[in-house]
Amino acid sequence: MKKCPFESQIDDYLLNRLEGGDKEAFEEHYFNCQRCFRLMEERNELISAVKTRGAWIFEPEPDAEKKVLLPTFEKVFSYFTPRQWATVAAAAAVLLVAVFGVLPRFKGAPPQFVLSESEVVRGASLTLMSPVIDTAVAPAYFEWKSLGEDVEYKLSLYNSGLIWTATTRENRISIPEEIRANMTAGQKFAWQVRAYSSRGTLIAVSSRVEFQIKPAE
Amino acid sequence: MEQKASAVDLDEIVLRYRPVVSFKVKKSLGSQTPDWEDVVNEIITQVIEKVQNGEFRGESSIGTFIYTITSRRIIDFIRQKTRVLKEAPEPAPWPDPCEDAEARERSRILAEAIKRLKPKFKEVLELYYYQELSRNEVAERLGISPRRVSERINYAQKLLRKMIKK
Repeated sequence: MKKCPFESQIDDYLLNRLEGGDKEAFEEHYFNCQRCFRLMEERNELISAVKTRGAWIFEPEPDAEKKVLLPTFEKVFSYFTPRQWATVAAAAAVLLVAVFGVLPRFKGAPPQFVLSESEVVRGASLTLMSPVIDTAVAPAYFEWKSLGEDVEYKLSLYNSGLIWTATTRENRISIPEEIRANMTAGQKFAWQVRAYSSRGTLIAVSSRVEFQIKPAE
Repeated sequence: MEQKASAVDLDEIVLRYRPVVSFKVKKSLGSQTPDWEDVVNEIITQVIEKVQNGEFRGESSIGTFIYTITSRRIIDFIRQKTRVLKEAPEPAPWPDPCEDAEARERSRILAEAIKRLKPKFKEVLELYYYQELSRNEVAERLGISPRRVSERINYAQKLLRKMIKK
């Protein structure tokens, strides 16, 4: 069956990327073409499911990690005999004592960060990546540049006041559906991220970035 | 393509066009607008009256005729609401799938099927529909051609169709 030329516009229409005459022509077409209407309904269900349950659908699966790690662990475990394992354990204990017991005595002083009254940290910068400009719909996640391992980030989202805060060790965090549902077109938001070391020290504060969810035309 | 007025079957109009009109109304007004079903009923009633009064003369297709009535009624509705509320109702970007139990169940089954897709299909759906990146941006992010992005989306849809039918 020959593909209808309007089929390629289904996604653009559903994602509100068609405007003016193109949008009207597409709408008039699906009032006349049962095949395109059926395809559009099906695609709409897919997009709706992704939009409303995306956080759950795309969350990393812990089982998948386990499935990969388990055979590897078994392989490593069978690699040594119990006597060899005992030797390995003793060596590891000595190493741990050296790392945590002896080396810290020779460690220099922790880095000092100069904080102003508004907690701005000078010495480390935290760059926000997305969203930094106005968006067509409520963003699905916030993303910033990573400051390396062992850093905990605390994100704060503001509207007229603080509306959501969350912590993560990743440099990205999904916005819960219940928060997104309240982020409607026309509203202005601001977000900011603070970074803490593994010892709980504040090591960086981003600037506060503002964005607006553009009102529908 | 064009249909003669005399050949129009009113039952068929209602059966075939109610879902189409409902889709357009919900897309324009948002399915959370409580009046959307009333607007659909008004449009269908108007269509039937106009056909019975001979206002549909077959100069355009019946689909285009109904589309014109639908668009006008939606504009009127928004104008009325704007006058009353001083602002138009907020349109939902896509109809809410949770409007009834059946749709909610379908959405849940579909979401579970998407979760079971291979990562190469899931990542395309995530970037294109969830994060709303453009086709070219998705292609760039994944190191594939924009055409391949479309192919993966269409193939994912085909797989989901099969998974849900089982």
